[in-house]
Amino acid sequence: MKFHKIILSTKLIMKMLSRRSIVITLFFVIPIVFLGVVELTTSSRELPFMLGSLDEEIFISVAEKQISLVFFAVAVAGFLSAFLAHYLFQKNYLANRRLVVCGYHPNEVLFSNLIAILIACVFTSFYVGFLVHHFFEVRHFFVFVLALFLSCIVYGLYGMLVGCTVKGELEGILLIVLLINIDAGWLQNPLFYAQSEQQEIIQYLPAFYPSQCAIKASFTDYPVNNSVLYSLLYSGIFLILSIIIFYHKLKLQHEKF
Amino acid sequence: MILHAKNIEKSYGKKKVLNGISLKLKIGRMYGIAVENGSGKSTLLKSLIGYTKIQKGSVAINGDFGYCPQLPHFFDQLTVEEHFKYFCAAYDIEQREAQSPIQFLLERLNFQKYFKYRISELSGGTIQKLNLAISLLNFPDLLILDEPYNGFDWDTYLRFWDLTDDLKEKGITVLIVSHFINDLKRFDCSYELKNGQLYEIS
Repeated sequence: MKFHKIILSTKLIMKMLSRRSIVITLFFVIPIVFLGVVELTTSSRELPFMLGSLDEEIFISVAEKQISLVFFAVAVAGFLSAFLAHYLFQKNYLANRRLVVCGYHPNEVLFSNLIAILIACVFTSFYVGFLVHHFFEVRHFFVFVLALFLSCIVYGLYGMLVGCTVKGELEGILLIVLLINIDAGWLQNPLFYAQSEQQEIIQYLPAFYPSQCAIKASFTDYPVNNSVLYSLLYSGIFLILSIIIFYHKLKLQHEKF
Repeated sequence: MILHAKNIEKSYGKKKVLNGISLKLKIGRMYGIAVENGSGKSTLLKSLIGYTKIQKGSVAINGDFGYCPQLPHFFDQLTVEEHFKYFCAAYDIEQREAQSPIQFLLERLNFQKYFKYRISELSGGTIQKLNLAISLLNFPDLLILDEPYNGFDWDTYLRFWDLTDDLKEKGITVLIVSHFINDLKRFDCSYELKNGQLYEIS
């Protein structure tokens, strides 16, 4: 792998993204719409919520509106990064393949895309974090941003995996919508989680630990080490699978002699 | 010998697409392969350049090759200039050494004025010129062209043949695969791909 090739490729990928004005606009608008709708429609009553990632059953009492803002922030961050990663890998597959035929190593292409996704994840986490902070003051802002970053990374890498694996654009988008909608957009909702009869299943889904991290950071002083660790574990699994599939699909079948 | 393919076999399920194809390409020659629709052209080319795994046989390429696919796939939001930069990096060509071949190709294929244009702003013919130019950027030992003159106007078509003649004189081997090969005298050797096999056209 050559470092200067990865740097150049990353710069060009960032240029490509910055020139897609509609994507950029949606990146700014979607979180505002999501969180704005929550702010306008959700009740302010205080409700007890269960913290799922602690050994003992601990309930915290928080305004429904605030916890909904946190929950939707995690979901929207995951959504955005998953779509972006899917777009980069699915849409550019054939162009990337040509780069490999011309001399790029598949891993150089993969890592440059990965760096671009990481940059987008950092940006998204801070942006969504500041938006939520605008609606109410979260207790530990930077830990909350870290939780959003974990959501971005977990689902960004899931989007990357889908983009590497699934050939059709529509099928890929459906796979992303399916999992994120069920997981981050529904089951991780603390309102649902506390009443669920199968909490174990929910705990095995990718958005569980980022969501728990975000809730703890927003309303409590509990440590988030475990949530961070397990989120990174999920990211690692998605990353390894993506590397294997991407490399297998892009590598040339015979060497030059 | 720049390319030696021996007894290539490739099937998709029960359908055998390539049935024992052998091909030897010599240095500095121009070869043409005429194909019918659905005769396995794409599979043959993908097998030669290593895109796809063959089930039997072997392919050896003795040097660098350039490949111009039938359908150009580029990054819509990047300019022609940025594509040259990207692919120069792929070929390990230093930026300062790249100016001369880029200028040469822009002039020979007559698309200098689109240098700063994004792919999404270009016509099909201009994208095809870039497609060809990218495959030539490193002046490879072997050039494999799949329907290279698709979308070219008459002037560019003639420029294309001038260019390939020059390349041949410089010792570059050119392999052109097309549905329309009507100018057989341009080639040193011509083949027809039929029923998964190659037949030499005399």
